[in-house]
Amino acid sequence: MKDVETRPSRYEWVIILAILLASLPLILGFSLLVLSSFSKEMVTNLDLSSFRFTLENWINVFQGKLATTGGIRTNILKVTFNTLIVALGVAGVVTFISALAGYSLSRIDFRGRKHMMVLLLILHAFPGVALIVGVYLLYRLTFPQSPDIIRLYSFFYVILARAALEIPMSVWLMKGFFDTIPWEFEWSGIIDGASRIKVWWKIMLPLIKPGILAVALFAFLAGWQDIIYVRTFLIDQTLATFIEANIEAEYSHMPLIAAAGTLYLLPTIIFFLTAQQILLQGYSGGIKG
Amino acid sequence: MVKIILKEITKKFGDFTALDNINLEIDDREFMALLGPSGSGKSTLLYTIAGIYKPTSGRIYFDDRDVTEIPPKDRNVGLVFQNWALYPHMKVFDNIAFPLELRKVPKQEIEKKVREVAKMLHIENLLDRYPWQLSGGQQQRVAIARALVKEPDVLLLDEPLSNLDALLRIEVRAELKRLQKELGITAVYVTHDQAEALAMADRIAVIREGKILQVGTPDDVYYKPKYKFVGGFLGNPPMNFVEAEVENGYLRVYESRIPVPAQYKGLIEKLDIKEVLLGFRPHDAEVVKGISEGLVGEVYSFEPLGREQIVTVSVNSGAFVKVFAPEGEHFTFGEKVTVKIREDRIVLFDKKTEKALEFLGE
Ligand SMILES: Nc1ncnc2c1ncn2[C@@H]1O[C@H](COP(=O)(O)OP(=O)(O)OP(=O)(O)O)[C@@H](O)[C@H]1O
Ligand SMILES: [Mg+2]
Repeated sequence: MKDVETRPSRYEWVIILAILLASLPLILGFSLLVLSSFSKEMVTNLDLSSFRFTLENWINVFQGKLATTGGIRTNILKVTFNTLIVALGVAGVVTFISALAGYSLSRIDFRGRKHMMVLLLILHAFPGVALIVGVYLLYRLTFPQSPDIIRLYSFFYVILARAALEIPMSVWLMKGFFDTIPWEFEWSGIIDGASRIKVWWKIMLPLIKPGILAVALFAFLAGWQDIIYVRTFLIDQTLATFIEANIEAEYSHMPLIAAAGTLYLLPTIIFFLTAQQILLQGYSGGIKG
Repeated sequence: MVKIILKEITKKFGDFTALDNINLEIDDREFMALLGPSGSGKSTLLYTIAGIYKPTSGRIYFDDRDVTEIPPKDRNVGLVFQNWALYPHMKVFDNIAFPLELRKVPKQEIEKKVREVAKMLHIENLLDRYPWQLSGGQQQRVAIARALVKEPDVLLLDEPLSNLDALLRIEVRAELKRLQKELGITAVYVTHDQAEALAMADRIAVIREGKILQVGTPDDVYYKPKYKFVGGFLGNPPMNFVEAEVENGYLRVYESRIPVPAQYKGLIEKLDIKEVLLGFRPHDAEVVKGISEGLVGEVYSFEPLGREQIVTVSVNSGAFVKVFAPEGEHFTFGEKVTVKIREDRIVLFDKKTEKALEFLGE
């Protein structure tokens, strides 16, 4: 007999079936996309009759060709690199700010703490699109004169703006993680002579590593996938805007776009395949009481 | 290696008073136990000494130094938490070394000191494990080592043994007491286990609802409880209490009569008290078969404990008392017996205030 906790429900298979059915359209869509990226023509039928294997699309993508004929080229590696900068930037800003803010919301009883938490929830409920006019206004107002730095500035701005959308929820999440750590850990550090910030860095952060990783990953994906903010503010292209710009262009070869799309989806796929291990990985013992 | 003086310490959490006008002096090198039930404010008092909590009013002195406003790290105290609070992401070595690293002690010296203290606590061979790879007893040693490694003036312990099994607890408490005396360190030990307090402490402070009821040596608080609560909290089984009326030099318990103990004769006349609680410890009485002079009643139950047995007698007045009897004696349920109490060990309490008569004037 199995342990009570690990014993599967008798209706487990029903649940699994239901989940599979519900996600079938998604799985099919993804599979066809990936297949198409290796095919001479788009695979749109389930019988795969139009599938003819080729690596051409991927080669073309990495050479930056957008059409099988013609000379229009975009450096896809640079686009990927741009995407990475935005994603990493968003992840970095969000993680840093929410790790600090989450700590103070969890541990410091400052004035207006409760209001701030409510406010964060309201902010989270605001859709990013609704804010874009105001955010754009600010963008124009702060736009630098010097042409040398405008590209840099647009990166800087899109990262901050996109991070700002993620921060409210991430702060809430992070506060939740800090809340789970008993006060004794912190007190112990303080008695041993650590400053508050040192306690945060040396004791608290290591204890919530899985939480930090989760927040960072979500922020990374948000930056990676974003299209509206990138399209509005970033002068350069990311994978998302690149695909969007080419998907209806006359010269574009669809299987090639499929390859770019697969590239675009890669982090998400990797993330969801490994998420469980990352999120569930914690200290199994050690924290008592 | 300091004397701790607490002067009129009050600590409030919002409207709730967790500590109420605490006055306590803990001598240099003394082992002081703070004993009280759950929620009585023991941890709060300990944290106040450590500086984690700031008293709402009152002052704390280490020797002549007023430390009330001084942050915890400058008080040089070591604290062992109830849950030990070992850092799970650090190996045992790093856990113990952490306070020294914060003090920027040179690497070699850290190494030396950590090994020294680890040896003292018999955990040298565990240094490169993680806390979750240790047993409860080992974790507790690591926590004590971490508190001791910085050579604190004061060692504060918050129920450090409460997570250990009964046998280990008894073993460790003897060792801990010895360690404290060897190091000559002033120790404050929080516990709700009266046996632990009696076994380890030089003096015990009994706390209830944020107030100190009594401070004294284990003998003092055990044999001369100031309040009914103290008598009832210490001892296993605790002190027995029977309501009695004072009547021409006798204490009358329903139909039984006991002469007023010699030590109380003058006091009772002076106070002119009519109703008292008669207190006595289970080993300060004996159960005699049949009806004679003493508390008359019948055997309610008996529990053999190996070398002796506990007999519960239902006294005529309706109260139950527990008395130790030698192992060989046989009792039957409902048997008529008389409980004869050692007169000089009787403690009388005022029925209303539940305070021992000799302290009523205070
Ligand atoms: N931070 C706090 N805020 C509000 N009330 C508190 C706080 N800390 C403690 N208290 C209250 O103060 C009282 C004393 O708590 P304390 O932790 O000192 O008890 P204790 O004697 O250590 O009990 P235990 O044996 O269960 O550890 C309790 O009623 C508790 O609810
Ligand atoms: Mg406590």
